[in-house]
Amino acid sequence: MKLFEHIKDINKRVIFVLIALAVAIPLIFKIGLPSKVTKEVKQVYQEIDALEQGSPVLVSFDHEASSLPEIQPMAEAILRHCFSKDLKVLGLALLAEGTAIGDEIMREVAEEYGKEYGQDYVFLGFRPQYIAAILGMGEDIHRVFPEDYRGNSTDELAVIKDLNNYEDIPLIISVADGDMPTYWISFAGARYHQSIATAVTAVMATSFYPFLDSGQLVGLVGGLKGAAEYETLIQKPGMGSKGMDAQSMAHLMILVLFLLGNVTFFMGRKKKT
Amino acid sequence: MEIGTLIAAFLTLCIFSFLYKDNPFYKFAEYLLVGISVGYFLVTAINTTVMPKLILPLFRQGNLVYLIPGLLGFLMFTRFSPKLSWLSRISLALVIGAGAGVSIPAVMQAQIMAQMKASMVSLVSINGIIIILAISTTLIYFFFSKEHKGWFGGTAKIGIWFLMVFFGATFGYTVMSRVSLLIGRMQFLLGDFLGIIK
Repeated sequence: MKLFEHIKDINKRVIFVLIALAVAIPLIFKIGLPSKVTKEVKQVYQEIDALEQGSPVLVSFDHEASSLPEIQPMAEAILRHCFSKDLKVLGLALLAEGTAIGDEIMREVAEEYGKEYGQDYVFLGFRPQYIAAILGMGEDIHRVFPEDYRGNSTDELAVIKDLNNYEDIPLIISVADGDMPTYWISFAGARYHQSIATAVTAVMATSFYPFLDSGQLVGLVGGLKGAAEYETLIQKPGMGSKGMDAQSMAHLMILVLFLLGNVTFFMGRKKKT
Repeated sequence: MEIGTLIAAFLTLCIFSFLYKDNPFYKFAEYLLVGISVGYFLVTAINTTVMPKLILPLFRQGNLVYLIPGLLGFLMFTRFSPKLSWLSRISLALVIGAGAGVSIPAVMQAQIMAQMKASMVSLVSINGIIIILAISTTLIYFFFSKEHKGWFGGTAKIGIWFLMVFFGATFGYTVMSRVSLLIGRMQFLLGDFLGIIK
C-alpha cells in the first residue's frame, strides 16, 4: 500500500528519465523486435511498383521542420523505391519549411542511385496558396512552376518539359505533417481524378483512414512505424527500422506507467470511501 | 565534429532543459526557433512569390496587369492604419469570395459525397454493420434538438462510445508521433553528437 502512495507522489522528472532510458537503451543495444507490414503501406508500395519505368511521380513535401524525425524516414524510403524503379521524380513544397528539406532529401537519395538532376528528377520549389497551386497544376504545371528551385526553366529540363498537367502524372504522394493531403484529395483527386497516396506523421494518420476506406487515397504510410514497414518492403533498412525497437520500448514504458497511475488512483479512491 | 552538429546538439539540450524547469536556455532556443521560422518563411515567400510573380513581371517585363494584384496585396497593409483599414476589406472580399467559390464544390465532392458513398455499405459483413451503427449513433449524439433521454439518450450513449474509440486511437497515434520525435533527437544526440550509435 505504501508503494502506491509513493507512486502517487512521484516526481514527473523521474518519468522523463524513465522514458529517455526506454528510448536510449534500445537504440544502443539492438533488440530486433519484429515489425509486420500493414495493408495500407503495402498499397503505396504496390502503386509505385506497378508504374512503368520512366513514369513520373510527384512528391510534395507538405511539412514543417519540426516533424523531420518522422518525415525524413518516410520520404527517404519512398524516394528510394521510386529511384530504384527508375521513375522520374518531381518534388515540390506547399509549405515553406518543407522547401530546403525536400530539396536536400531528394538530392541525397538521388545521389545514392546515381540519378542526374534535370534528367531523372527535379525539385520545383515552394508555392504559397496551396489551393491555387494544386488547381493550377491540373491545368498547366509550367505556368505554376515556370522555373525550378535552382532557377532553371522547366521548359528546358528533360524530366519535366513534356509534362503538362496531372494527366501526364500517374501518382501524387503528399509527405505531410498536417492536413495538406486533404487539399490534394479535394482539388487534385476529386476534380482531376488523380491517384493520391500519402505519407503522414502518426498524429495525422487517423484523419486519413476514412479517405483510404473511400478509395480517395490509394495508400497510406503513417509515421515512423510506416517508414519501417516501407523499408521492410524495399529491403533497405533505414532510420525507420532503426527506431522501431525504441518506439516499442517507449510504448511499453508508457503502458506500464499508465497502468500504475490508474491502479494508484483507484486504490486511493477506495481508501477514501 | 562539424560546427553545425555542435550548435544543433546545444539547442536540443537547451530545449530538453525545460523538462527540469523553465530557464533562460530554453527561452533562448524557443525564441530562436520562432525567429528563424518567420525569417525563413519571409525570405522564401519573397524569393518564390513576390519577386517572380510581381516585381519582375512589373518592372522588368513592364506588364502593367500585375498592378492590380499588387495593389490588392498592398491594400492588406492598410489594416495597420485604423483610418484606412476598411480598404483591406476589398482584398479580403476577393480572397474569401474566390476561395469559397473554388473550395465549396471540391470539398462537397471529396469530403461529403464520396465519404457518404463509402459509408453506404452492405449490411452483410460485420464491418458494414459496425460502420452503419457507428455513423447513425454518432450522428444521433450530435442531434441537439431533442433531449437525450430514453431510447434516444441510450443510442446517443452508444455514439459516445464510438467517439471514445476514435479519440483513443487518435491519442495512441499522437503518443507514437511524439515518441518518434524524441527518437529522432536521441538518434542525433547518441549518433551524430556522441558517436555512441551508428
